[in-house]
Amino acid sequence: MTPFNRVWVRQLLALAIALALWEGAGRAGWLNPLYAPPPSRVGGALVELFADGGIWPHLEATFSAALGGLALGIVVGVVLGAAAALVPLVAELLEPVMMLLNAVPRVVLGPLFVIWLGIGIASKVALAFVLVAVLVFFTVYTGIKQVDRRLVERVRTLGGGRWAILREVYLPFVAAWIMGNLKVAVGFAFTGAVVGEFVGASRGLGYLLSFAQSTYNASLMLALVLLIMAFVLLIFGAAGRLEKRLLRWR
Amino acid sequence: MLRVSDLSLSYGGPEPVLEGASLEVEAGRFVSLVGPSGSGKSSLLRAVMALQAPSAGRIERDAGLSPSDIGILFQDDALLPWRTAAENVALGLRLRGTDRRRAAAEAETWLERLGLAGFGARYPSRLSGGQRKRVALAQVLALRPRLLLMDEPFASLDAIVRARVTQDVVDLVEREGIGVLLVTHDLEEALALSDTVYLLSQGPRARISQCYTVPIPRPRNLVRARTHPAFGPLFEQLWRDLSQEVDGARREEVEAA
Repeated sequence: MTPFNRVWVRQLLALAIALALWEGAGRAGWLNPLYAPPPSRVGGALVELFADGGIWPHLEATFSAALGGLALGIVVGVVLGAAAALVPLVAELLEPVMMLLNAVPRVVLGPLFVIWLGIGIASKVALAFVLVAVLVFFTVYTGIKQVDRRLVERVRTLGGGRWAILREVYLPFVAAWIMGNLKVAVGFAFTGAVVGEFVGASRGLGYLLSFAQSTYNASLMLALVLLIMAFVLLIFGAAGRLEKRLLRWR
Repeated sequence: MLRVSDLSLSYGGPEPVLEGASLEVEAGRFVSLVGPSGSGKSSLLRAVMALQAPSAGRIERDAGLSPSDIGILFQDDALLPWRTAAENVALGLRLRGTDRRRAAAEAETWLERLGLAGFGARYPSRLSGGQRKRVALAQVLALRPRLLLMDEPFASLDAIVRARVTQDVVDLVEREGIGVLLVTHDLEEALALSDTVYLLSQGPRARISQCYTVPIPRPRNLVRARTHPAFGPLFEQLWRDLSQEVDGARREEVEAA
């Protein structure tokens, strides 16, 4: 088997060719560097971000907001989703609100959160939280409603009470649903954090993006986009491994 | 051991699906319920397990037979997919207070008895249909039930696996003196396994229309049971009676239309 037979080798090769063509076109003057800077300049901007260490506070701000919103969103989404699935009155009250929040692009709440919570981290956490919580709510709500009744009866006939049914059937079933949506939730959390920073902040990758836009610095903007993609892919990888480990029974 | 008297079951419609059913299961005896679809056979088992409330009638157990002495094996194996085979078998024991280590050891013993030694660490998704069925059986038998209810438990298995698993169950039931109430569509299976076969009429308002005693001695080999002189005539009789029930119900439907 030659290296070329491997998919990832072919993919890397295609990427290298595309980057070389882009670089060549830039150097030949066929692309305006103001709009489409060549890869070498984007790489330079990326190196510069890390060289002076100025990127770290921004990374910390974005990650704190995204992971804070993700954790809060999962906890609140699970609690509300479970309550709505198990208590009809809670479902009557919550379902219309969640449907409404689900129907609108929730990032429109970003400016409102800045007014309410200021330009600090709280408004970014709030936006990431709203994005994640609604997703998790519907995941848990639908998941519990679709629990296999035969499994519930099985545990009951083996001598299990309500707590045993919750522990042996509902929790693993819902956990599987959440794990299946974890990657989407991670994406939502970072979207919330970055958009929140874009709307109004003094730190964070979204703030840097806004700064790059206002100074027409396309190299910095592309470098930041690459950076965000790389970090989200890393987290996706970790979530994928966790999913594979926890759902190995599938 | 178990007495069902004048039992009626309803799904909330105007007519009961089953009406006035009475039957008895004694310790160490194999009793089958056969009948057309929709005659309430499975519902009767669910009522015995208190998974469905009867609309009339009584279900009585002997004083010494507690609800925890009754095991049920459904048509679907209904194993927890996130638990391994051994964990599934140990589940009932743990739910009844057996400590984790002892439950695990007993689970392994039961898996071994049912020919699944070495399969304990596998998840249900990694087992064949026959293996899953054996795990479900081990799960129920590990609780040492004195009365076993079975709702077409082997219907989904291929013929060879089905014959083997069924023989395993018969051997165990005979050895342990367990009373069995089996629901099946398979008349041959009912006769080969049972001491008594009850025939249900077409629902709604299904009733027990016939009761047959099977004089084939125990211990039973399920292949040889089919060659016993009493088997053929009983099978013909049962088949004729069932056909009459179904044809009669069809005629009533046509006349009513």
